[in-house]
Amino acid sequence: MTNSSTPSGSALVERYYSDYGSRARELKKQGRRFIGYLCAYVPLEIISAAGFIPFRVKGNVHEPISAADAQMETIVCPMVRSYFDQTLKGAWDFIEGLVLPHSCDSMCITHDIWRTSLNLPYFHLLNVPHTISDNSREFFVDCLRTFRTSMERYAGRTISNKAIEAEIEKYNALRKAVRHLYGLRRGDEPRISGSAIVRTLVAAMSLPVEEAVPMVESITIEGSKQGPAFERGTPRVMIVSSEQDDDGLASIVEECGGAVVSDFTCPGLREYGQDVEPHTDPLVGLAGRYLNLNCARTYRGETGKQSDDFEERFGIIGRLATDFRVRGVIIRVHRCCDPYGLEVPALRSYLANHGLAVLYIEDDYSIMDIGRLRTRIQAFIELISGSLETGVNIV
Amino acid sequence: MIPRMVKDMLAAGQRAHEEGKLTAYTLIASAYDEIIRAMDIVPLWVENFAGICSAKRNAMPFLEKAESHYFSRSMCTYALCCLGFDALREESGGMPANAPWGGLPRPDMMLGTGTMICDPRVKWFQAARQYMPDVPIHMTNILWPAYQQNIDHREIQDYYIRFMVSELRDLVAFLEKRTSRKMDWDRLAGLVDLADRTWNLFWETHELRRAVPTPMGTGDAFNTMVPLVFMLGTQQALDFYAALNQELKNRINNRMASVPDEKYRLMWGGGLAPWFALSDFDYFAAKGASFPVEISYRLAEPLYNLNVPRTSDPIEHIVWRWFKYLTYWYDAARKRNGSYPEVERMIRYIDDYQIDGIVIHEAFSCRTWHPGLICQLNTLKKIYRDIPTLVLESDMVDIGSYNESETHQRIDAFIDMLENETSHKSGS
Repeated sequence: MTNSSTPSGSALVERYYSDYGSRARELKKQGRRFIGYLCAYVPLEIISAAGFIPFRVKGNVHEPISAADAQMETIVCPMVRSYFDQTLKGAWDFIEGLVLPHSCDSMCITHDIWRTSLNLPYFHLLNVPHTISDNSREFFVDCLRTFRTSMERYAGRTISNKAIEAEIEKYNALRKAVRHLYGLRRGDEPRISGSAIVRTLVAAMSLPVEEAVPMVESITIEGSKQGPAFERGTPRVMIVSSEQDDDGLASIVEECGGAVVSDFTCPGLREYGQDVEPHTDPLVGLAGRYLNLNCARTYRGETGKQSDDFEERFGIIGRLATDFRVRGVIIRVHRCCDPYGLEVPALRSYLANHGLAVLYIEDDYSIMDIGRLRTRIQAFIELISGSLETGVNIV
Repeated sequence: MIPRMVKDMLAAGQRAHEEGKLTAYTLIASAYDEIIRAMDIVPLWVENFAGICSAKRNAMPFLEKAESHYFSRSMCTYALCCLGFDALREESGGMPANAPWGGLPRPDMMLGTGTMICDPRVKWFQAARQYMPDVPIHMTNILWPAYQQNIDHREIQDYYIRFMVSELRDLVAFLEKRTSRKMDWDRLAGLVDLADRTWNLFWETHELRRAVPTPMGTGDAFNTMVPLVFMLGTQQALDFYAALNQELKNRINNRMASVPDEKYRLMWGGGLAPWFALSDFDYFAAKGASFPVEISYRLAEPLYNLNVPRTSDPIEHIVWRWFKYLTYWYDAARKRNGSYPEVERMIRYIDDYQIDGIVIHEAFSCRTWHPGLICQLNTLKKIYRDIPTLVLESDMVDIGSYNESETHQRIDAFIDMLENETSHKSGS
């Protein structure tokens, strides 16, 4: 029997998305402890096995960067600068530590800035190799052991393999729940909008995994019961990006008449597409999953032929585009992003060869900057609406 | 002498095939210098080539070409310059008409590195492969532990060393396959020894610049670093520093200063050089400001300071040398509250070279060497002393970011500040 006073999944999403961190503040008052982190490369299972709640630090596209500029150069990725700006301004004052992965220059090179400016009791830079090989996996397992030791020292307790395995099970449940949610988007009449998906996943980033899973599951249930979010025939669009922690772009696409039915972003299918596989050493399982995240910061594709190289790097995007019957792909890259920026021409080429219309946009993360792209997005949606039978267009 | 050496390096690449040698796109400070030379592979230093284009103020066509292929202008302009050049070279089937010094030849392979810094090193050659799809890439991880306060790097060095050794062995295997030749390990050991001696001599030579007045400034150091970073493992590099060492000693003995009327001693505290504007060092010099020391491109410490463990394996030795260099300042940082390695290095140079002020250059397209410089200066002020600093802003390749008049005005204001400081100190 449902409790009529229990908020619906949608209500929780709207609350935790629009007031990001509010649940963490409530839980902090109850004595729970939080460790902040940036990026999908941080193994959350280790943080939660240590007794902390991992909290994904994010930026604010609606707020100009100000405090950060006194400490962090403006040539750093605008998204990371915004993360730092919000943290400096106290938006996440409930975190007692921060874990930065060596994912990209903007995160790794700035680690001294984060560490010295915030002066949090706990700070760790997690090293991540740039390749996926037996050597790299072995090394990354060692890096995870070091991370575990670092957390143990701070937490003042041992983190057992069993504790990590228990957290792996919970986070795998979240990954499955998200993939199940995405199933609502496959049909001819998707049951949930892309902007709602973004809000759901962003809200989930701020919650303990025990709360995130039921919230995502309830969104799926709600979505399956409601009518279509888009009419049949609405041009189906996929967004490919590094991190997307705001619904601005998806909302504009949908306001312009498109249906965002898939993505390859974080949070999104890049992050939730793969589980941690069981292993006698859970760190090996974690290393296998996290190292394999298909982010541009990792060098993939050493098979020799360029076509094989492209398939290794972009094949997952191609398969998702097919699976979700996408007509057009928007590649969104933030300014000053070398890993994704250097991939753009190759990715455009790959997608075009797969018969997909492509729009490449570069922005500085702020909502104003995304807004000025409305005209181009509108034109793109009209293009793919009109070209359903006529072939490929690249913008 | 350096321009001749750089031209010769490019020429070696251009005639490599005639000599039956293979070429490789290579990146600075990638720990593979001796390895590629032991395999007789001719390195084509792509960042150096972009620097040449920049210094000759000839990079714009290549940057624009890259931008026309949807590479963002906000990205590393070393990469953009070379990608644009690759595109033009491949489209035309020959060297572009405006290629500086004969141009960058098409390589037989590309040797990328995934390090703690510099994302372009991981993705650049993949992007270049669009223009050269048949050219294979090998990627080597060169990683070191970040400075962390609750983990001593010595606790974890074993697995870092193990990993990097395995990475370099994989590189050797790749090169053996490409060249159809086996590594001559004795030859490699000889080149490693040569490199060690070059590191020692490089450092000893630069220590001579402590003299007052300094015999050589950063403007020259940005040229004389070429043998260390692009010719390591060659007798020519060692001979160059032997000659430079002697020259500086002569200059000191004869009081031949870099800046004859040296009034202010400045440190280049960080940032890649604006290669198109090295003449700004002359502007500083005209105002009595010398640069006895720089952080950028000072890519060596003497082996006798590094405590590199003894090993007969040249690969292990290479890895230990780099590991010890990259973690060299960690212990000093632990000893001073609130400090960290980059700041400790600054403090040592300020003391050793009697520095009056610091100049940094923020190059807009490089997230490798430039984020964190402001924080270093802030930290320096907090834990050491309030030393006059000047921040210059432009780029290392994109001359469109540079305004000479504005830069000179900033320098003028900085010199005025130094003059005030000096007056206050002398009580006048």
